[in-house]
Amino acid sequence: MILTRFASSTLLAVLVLCIGLASISQPVLATEENYAFATEQQRKDFKRLTQELRCPMCQNQNIADSDAMIAHDMRRKVYQLVTDGQGQDEVIDFMKQRYGDFVHYQPPVNSNTVWLWVLPFSVLLFGVLILIKKRPQAFSDNPQEQADLIAQADALLEKDK
Amino acid sequence: MINTRFLVPLVGFLALVFFLYQGLFSDPRERDSQVLAKPMPEFSLPDLMDPSVIYTQDVFNGEVTLLNIWGVWCVTCAIELPYLTELSEQGVRFVGLYYDQDLDPDFGTKTLARVQQEVVATTNQLGNPFVFNIFDVYRDTSLDLGVTGAPETLLIDQQGIIRVHHIGDINPRVWSKKFAPIYDELTKPSSGEMQ
Repeated sequence: MILTRFASSTLLAVLVLCIGLASISQPVLATEENYAFATEQQRKDFKRLTQELRCPMCQNQNIADSDAMIAHDMRRKVYQLVTDGQGQDEVIDFMKQRYGDFVHYQPPVNSNTVWLWVLPFSVLLFGVLILIKKRPQAFSDNPQEQADLIAQADALLEKDK
Repeated sequence: MINTRFLVPLVGFLALVFFLYQGLFSDPRERDSQVLAKPMPEFSLPDLMDPSVIYTQDVFNGEVTLLNIWGVWCVTCAIELPYLTELSEQGVRFVGLYYDQDLDPDFGTKTLARVQQEVVATTNQLGNPFVFNIFDVYRDTSLDLGVTGAPETLLIDQQGIIRVHHIGDINPRVWSKKFAPIYDELTKPSSGEMQ
C-alpha cells in the first residue's frame, strides 16, 4: 500500500517535471533570435530558407539549427535579403555564389551529381530485367512435350519406390 | 571461360569496394572556394585602430598581399601569428581582416577600445605581421569571401585577384606547398605584370 502510494507520487513528480521542462525549453528556443517581419510571407520564406541552407562549417546542420557564428551571420544575411524583398531563389543563389553548392541541401543536377538520379533507376531496371528473364517457364502447350515430361516424372517416381 | 553470372556481380562488387575505399581518404571538410580567380569583393571598412580611416578593395592594388582573417579569440590564429611575423620580416605583405566574436553587430556588448586593447596585447606578445587591420564590423566582407571561420588566408595578386584561399593556419609546410609557388611567381621581378 505504502509502496504503491510512493510509486504513484514519484510518477506524478516525474510527470510534472517533464511538463515543466517542456514548457521552459519551448520559449527559450523561440526567443533565441527575434527577427521582425513585415509580412507573413517573409517570415515563411525566412523559416524555409534557414532550414534549406546548410551551415558550411558544420558537417550536417542547417543554419536554423546551428549555433556556429557563421550560421548566425548567415541567418542575419538571409533576414536582410528577405526583408529587402529578395525571392527564395535569389537568396539561395547569393549563398551559393559565396559558399558553393554545398550550402544548399538540394544538390543541382550536373555531370558529377547526375549519377545520384541515374544509378537507383538503372539498378531498378536491372532488377526488373532479371525478373523478366528468370520468369519460370510456362508449361508447354504441346501435347507431345507434355507427355514426355509426365513420362520423365513417372520414371523418377518409379525409381524412388 | 568464367561465367558472366559470376563476373557481373564480381565487377560490381569490386567497383563498390573501390568507391568506398576512396571514401576513407576523402576529407569531408574540403571544399572548393568560390572566390578563386575573382577580384576582391567591394567593401568599405574602417581601420581597426583608427576608425576614421576607411579602406576599400583598392588597398590591394599594385602589391601582392596576404589577407589574413583572424581574431584574438581564435586559438589557431595565436599559433600562426609568430610564423606570419617571421614571413612579414622576410618582406611578405600581410593585411589583417579582423572580426570579433563577442561583438555582436546587433547587440554590441564590447567596446571598440576593449577590442583594440586585446589586439595590441596579443600582437605585442606573439608578433605583429600586419601592415594594418581592416575591421570587418558586421562580418559582411567575410561572408562575401566565403569565410567559414578563423584563421583563413587569401593570397591576392597585384590586380586585386584572389589566387589562393586557405582554410586553417599557415605553417612552414602549408606555406611552401600552397603559397610559396604562387607567391614567388607573382613577385618574380621579370614576370611582374604591372611593374
